[in-house]
Parts: sequence; structure tokens; C-alpha cells
Amino acid sequence: MIKNIKEINIKTLAKKVVQDYSYWLSFVLLVIIAASMNPFFFTWNNITNIFVQSAMIGIIAMGMSMVISAGQIDISVGSQVALLGGFGIQVLNATNSPWIMLIFCVLGGAIIGTVNGLLVSKGHMPAMVATLAMQTTCRSIINFYGQGGPFTVKRELYDSFRQIAVGGIEIGSIKIPFMMIIFIVVSIIFAIIMKRTKLGKHIYAVGSNETSARLAGINVDFVKTIVFTITGMCCGLTAVLYASRLTAVASANAAFGYEMEAIAAVAIGGTAMTGGKGKITGTFLGVLMFKIISNILTSADVSSFLNGAISGTIIVVAVLLQNFQNKKK
Amino acid sequence: MLVEMKGITKEFGPVVAVNNVDFKIESGQIIGLLGENGAGKSTLMNVLAGTFLPTKGEVFIDGKKKVINNAQIAKECGIRFIHQELNLCNDLSVLENMFLAQEITNKGITNTKEMNRLCTEVFERMNVNIHPNENVGNLQAADKQLLEIAKSLLFKSELIIMDEPTTALSTNEIENLFNIMRQLQSENVSFIFISHKMPELFAVCDNYYIMRDGTYVANGKFKDIKESEITKLMIGRSLADDSFANKIDYSCDEVVLSVKDLNSELFHNISFDLHKGEILAITGLQGSGKEAIADALFGAEKYTGEIRIGNELIKSNSKIIKYMKKGIALVPRMRKERGILNDLSIYDNLSIGFINTKFKKLLISSKEENARFDRQKKAMRIKVGNPNNPITSLSGGNQQKVILGRWLETDAKVMLFDNPTQGIDVGAKFEIYHLILELAKRGKSIIVFSAEYPEISKVCDNCIVLYKGEIAANIKRDKLNEVDVMKYSTGLTGEEKTND
Repeated sequence: MIKNIKEINIKTLAKKVVQDYSYWLSFVLLVIIAASMNPFFFTWNNITNIFVQSAMIGIIAMGMSMVISAGQIDISVGSQVALLGGFGIQVLNATNSPWIMLIFCVLGGAIIGTVNGLLVSKGHMPAMVATLAMQTTCRSIINFYGQGGPFTVKRELYDSFRQIAVGGIEIGSIKIPFMMIIFIVVSIIFAIIMKRTKLGKHIYAVGSNETSARLAGINVDFVKTIVFTITGMCCGLTAVLYASRLTAVASANAAFGYEMEAIAAVAIGGTAMTGGKGKITGTFLGVLMFKIISNILTSADVSSFLNGAISGTIIVVAVLLQNFQNKKK
Repeated sequence: MLVEMKGITKEFGPVVAVNNVDFKIESGQIIGLLGENGAGKSTLMNVLAGTFLPTKGEVFIDGKKKVINNAQIAKECGIRFIHQELNLCNDLSVLENMFLAQEITNKGITNTKEMNRLCTEVFERMNVNIHPNENVGNLQAADKQLLEIAKSLLFKSELIIMDEPTTALSTNEIENLFNIMRQLQSENVSFIFISHKMPELFAVCDNYYIMRDGTYVANGKFKDIKESEITKLMIGRSLADDSFANKIDYSCDEVVLSVKDLNSELFHNISFDLHKGEILAITGLQGSGKEAIADALFGAEKYTGEIRIGNELIKSNSKIIKYMKKGIALVPRMRKERGILNDLSIYDNLSIGFINTKFKKLLISSKEENARFDRQKKAMRIKVGNPNNPITSLSGGNQQKVILGRWLETDAKVMLFDNPTQGIDVGAKFEIYHLILELAKRGKSIIVFSAEYPEISKVCDNCIVLYKGEIAANIKRDKLNEVDVMKYSTGLTGEEKTND
């Protein structure tokens, strides 16, 4: 055994690292660049900031990772957040309970996601078409109820509700923000689901080869549906965080472009857009990388109006690199 | 048009698919090209149609040497190859398909009127009734076949090669096809007809041309030969090696799988019992329905009828997982497309069966996965380095062993092997056969679905031969011989017929 390990050529080892852990390499590279531009990069404050800023996209990206690993795609996530957030605030205002709001949003997300999933699995629709229809439907419903304007949290709840997004646990002099904790916990749950549960194995199997998966006894339709359901639930959780952070959900442009940012994060994380391959750690780092890149660009005075162009470029570059790598093999 | 192939050899790496073959066809001739699977028929025809360039040898058309190095040149020479899987676009109209990529245009605008005229002309010549504006997807299989022929006539083809054109056709449609072929024959169009079905070959062809193991064996006129002689010429190899000759029959009396009146579009009235320790072979040519039966027994294809495990009836058309849990396993045909999960690791490919049927806990432990893997690795003698590598890093034989291991971990009682040695080299093939025998010894009941006689003769205790979806014969091992199997699977029922 030991002999075997020694025999492994350093060159092949390096090749394997580059192939399987390229997202770690790019992450380290990116951190070095960012640190050289920003002397305060390694301060606790800055690090927690990156996590807090990443949390919302990050939670959606976890669901997106699942959907893409199953060979599907969901471009309705941004609109789902807007719809659930808007109605969620009304539930909050009516009940005064953020917990009821959370249950409402997560359940609502599960329902929307399941509809997406059934359209794809039972309706045999391409995921792109089904979720595009869901995207415009959700956005237009929330626009209709909000008459284009925002849904705002009522004054009395303002301070307490905002704590979810800005609060944290203080240990001595350092503060760990709730957003950061939620993001990390969700990521760990997803990592475990994808790596160590039956569902995770099934998702990769379906994304890899549907026919083979079916003949191995996997309920392909169920898998295709549940990935959308779970993504919907992620949108529900994100909707609560979004409402808390902004204390208002503007129906027309809330969470606009989240689908592209989430897909970009999954892509730089090394998940294959064709399904079957990918790691949650990759997506986790992908989300952070995405945020670091946009922070670098912001500090270089690049307008935030260019966010869409940035995520578009990142997706294209990441997928091109993946394809290039696969071809070389 | 006189087409001659002289000294054709085609090698694929170390494999010699066609070895120094001469072939000749005159205008207005219909030649039946015969041979077992892998005899080199398709390769030879692909050389003629420009798909492959021969390693050695030359093609002459009307005495002049021609280098046919792509399909376009073959078409220009008047040679068309109609493949078994038709190359038609189902969503386009008949007319659009007829002129696909060869549209008649006028300054960039397609000239539908002219195309319509030419199309109708050809249909009239063939005396078929297909509307040019019909969607190809709405056509019957037979009409699609005719459409391909019409397409070749449209571009003045004089030699049409057809690879098993009748598999999807009914008796009437076949007769109609033959009439059209005979009519075109009188107009000096020649045909090369690849088929396994003796009655059809005798009905429509003048000459036979037999190949075996990549070489020429015999040719002559059908009217001078008996079917049984043709069969003998096709097989003709030295007898199978002896290591399987003294195979022990491990069958017990206990019936494990009982199938009664299984029906679908592709097979009819299939009934049989499978005993504990028995190895049953189900064989038949393309279109015999053996693949559909394999899938139906695993719940992957719709059927009516009864499938019982022991005394328990499996509700028809349940989910596959039900069949698995009752103890049926399927090693599917076309391993690459239907067996392996190509992006997943060797581990995951092996353990997925167990995880689906028996795993009850929440989290999968890699320790248990390791144990399962090591057990099967030893039992199957899988040659593997790191089991975390993707399954595609293994050779075909080892991939198949992983799939086999997948099912052994589910403790299946009935193992279905659908064409289990497809694309596997000879050495690994024998390993798989020995594994099958070993499983029978351990009390598993096994069905092997295969069209290759050498394969079934090695492993089976009993053999069911299918013809057009029905059981044509059920032969015991001691009575099994290749001539009979070939007879039953080509639709002969015993008495010999000659074409006079």
C-alpha cells in the first residue's frame, strides 16, 4: 500500500489536484489577489462581511447545485424570493411572528418548487422552459399585488425583525453574524445530503444517465421533482433573510438576477452544467469567490449596474474551462 | 452498373473485420448477404458505401477503379446504403426528408414545385401512395422504409444496400416491399439484401453470398441450395471449446420465477418456469422481442400477464424498485448507455443497488461501502486501482463485473443477463461465463438473453428460441445444436423448403 502511494508520480498527482480541486486553487488565487488589493482583507470584520453578503445567494446556490447535479436548471429562484418575501412580509405584519413567516415562506417555496418539478418530470418539459414560465409568473403576481411598489415591514416590528440580518452571537470581542451561521449550517446540511444520503447518490445518478439510473431502480421522476422542491424551500428561507435585511421587498426588482448569480457560483464551484458531477464544497467556495470578485470590482469603482455582465462572464468562463478540461481528458 | 470489390481487407486496430474478400454484383441482381453477427457483412457494405476506407483492396465500377472515401462519393456513383435505423427526421415532411441537404433551389429560395414534381414522379414509379406533405413521424414503419428507397431512386441510385429492412414490417408490408424490389429489378436496379430470415431471402433474392469470421465462404443461386445447407455454411466453425462441455446442471425442482401469458406489442404469449439454480437462455434474432422480454421481466417495459416470484404475484407494471425488492436483477444490454452511471465512482456504481433495496439508515457510511466493495471485488476478481475513480476508467469486462456486483449485493434470486458480453474482449467474456455458472451453483436462477450461439451453448441448461415475439422452441441442453437454433429463429418449423 505504502509502496503504491510512493509510486504515484508527482506529475499525475498534480494533474489530479488541478482537475478535481481546481476550485480550491482558484479560491486561494483569488484570496491572494484580494488581500494584495485590500490591506484589511484578513480582518474578522471583512471576512464576516463576505459571508453575510454571500449568505442569500449562497443558500439558493445550494439548491441550485442539487438541481444542476440532477441535470436540470432553475431560473425562477429570484422571482420566487420576491414573491415569497412580499407575501411573507404581509404574513409577518398580520401575525407579528417571524416564525410563522418562516414556515409560510418555506412551505410556499416548497409548493412552487414542486410545481416546477412536476412540470419537468411528469410534464416532460425542459427545465429551462418550465422555470422561465414560473419566473415571469411569480414576478407578475407579486407586481400585481404590490402594484409595482414595495411591501414593507410595519414600524413596531422593524427593530426586532431586522436583528435576523444584522444581529449575531457575540463571543468576547468578536461577533458571529446570524447570516453567516445560517449560511454555513445550510451548506453543511447540503454537503451531507449530497455526499452521504440515498437522495444525494440518486441525484448524481439521474444527472449522470437517466436510463441507467432508472434501470438501477431509482425513481427518476421523484428525484427530478424533489430537487426543485428543495430549491423552492431554499428560496423561502432566503426570502425571510432578504425581508429582514432590507425590511422591505420591492416587488419589481427584489432579488433580481439571483438566478444568474447562483448559477455562476455553482459553475465556478466546478459542478458540471450537464449534471452528474459536482461538490457542495465547490459551490460553497464558488459563492465566496463570486462575492470576492464583485467586491474587488466594486473597490475598483465598477458600477453595480454591471453585476449581470459579471455573472454572465463568470458563467461563460467557468463552463468554457470545464469543457476545455474535459476535452483534454 | 457492374460493381466489383477485389481483395477487400478492413482492420480495426488488431481486429481484422473483413479479410481479403471479393464481391461482385451486376445490374438488376438481388443478392442476399448472409452471415452470423460479427461475420463482417456490415463492415464490407460500409466499405462499399464509403463509410470506411478499406485497409487493402479496390472497388471497381463498370470496370473502372473508384476510390469511395465518403458517403457522398458513393451516392454520386449510384450506391445507397439504407441502414437498419433509418436516417429520417420525424418532424419534417416527406418532401423535406426526400431532399434533405440536397434541396433544389432557385437563388437561395427552395423550389418546392419542382421538388414536388420529382417526388411524385418517383412515388408513381414505385407505385406507392405517400403524400409528399405528410409528416414523416406519422408514417408507418413500412412507409418509412419505402421512403428511403424512394430517396435513393430520386438521386438515380443503381445499387441499393438494405440492412435487415424487414424487422419492423408485417407480412403484407414485406410482400409489398418485395414487389417493389422486383419491379425496380426489372428496371436494372440492383439490391444487396442483408437478412437473417431464410423465407424472405428465398423469396426475393437470386443469389446468396455467405461470409463467416470476416472471410468469404460461398456464393451461388438460391434455387440450387437448401436452407439447412446455408445454415451449415454460415456456422461452419470448429466446435466450441471443451471447458464448458461437462457443465453441471444445478437446477432444483423449486420454481423461483414463473411467467404466464406475457404479452405486449413486441412479444406474445410468453410462458415459462425458471427453477432454482437453472440457467435459461432466451435467444432470437433482431426483432424477436427478446430485449423487450428482458425489460418486461424487470418492470422496465409495459406488459400484460403474470410474473410470479415463488408464489407471489408481482403487480404488473409496478415500479422497477418493486421487482428489485422481490429479488429480480437485470444486467442490461448496452452497458454504456443503460448500465453504468458514467460520472459516478466505481464505489457508487457498485453500491447503488444495495442502497436502493436494502439500505434503511439515514447516512451512508463509507466503511460499510468499503466492506461491500471489497467483498465483490474478491468474488468477481475485479481488477481495479482506486475505487473512487470514475467507472469509465475500467475496462469493459471490469465495468460489467461492477454492475454484476451491484446486483449480487441486493441478494437477487433471479438474475437476468441481457447481452452480457457486448463489447467485451474474449478473455473477459469467459470470466463472465464462469461467474454465471458459479452463481447458478450458489442457487441463483439465471436467464441469459443473447443472440450468440457460442455464448448460450456454454452456459445454458435450457434454451428458449424466439421468432417474431413468440416462443418457437424450448430446447434442453442435451438436444441443443446450432443448426436447430438457427432454424427456429429464422422461422422454420422443421420441414425443409426449397425455392422451386
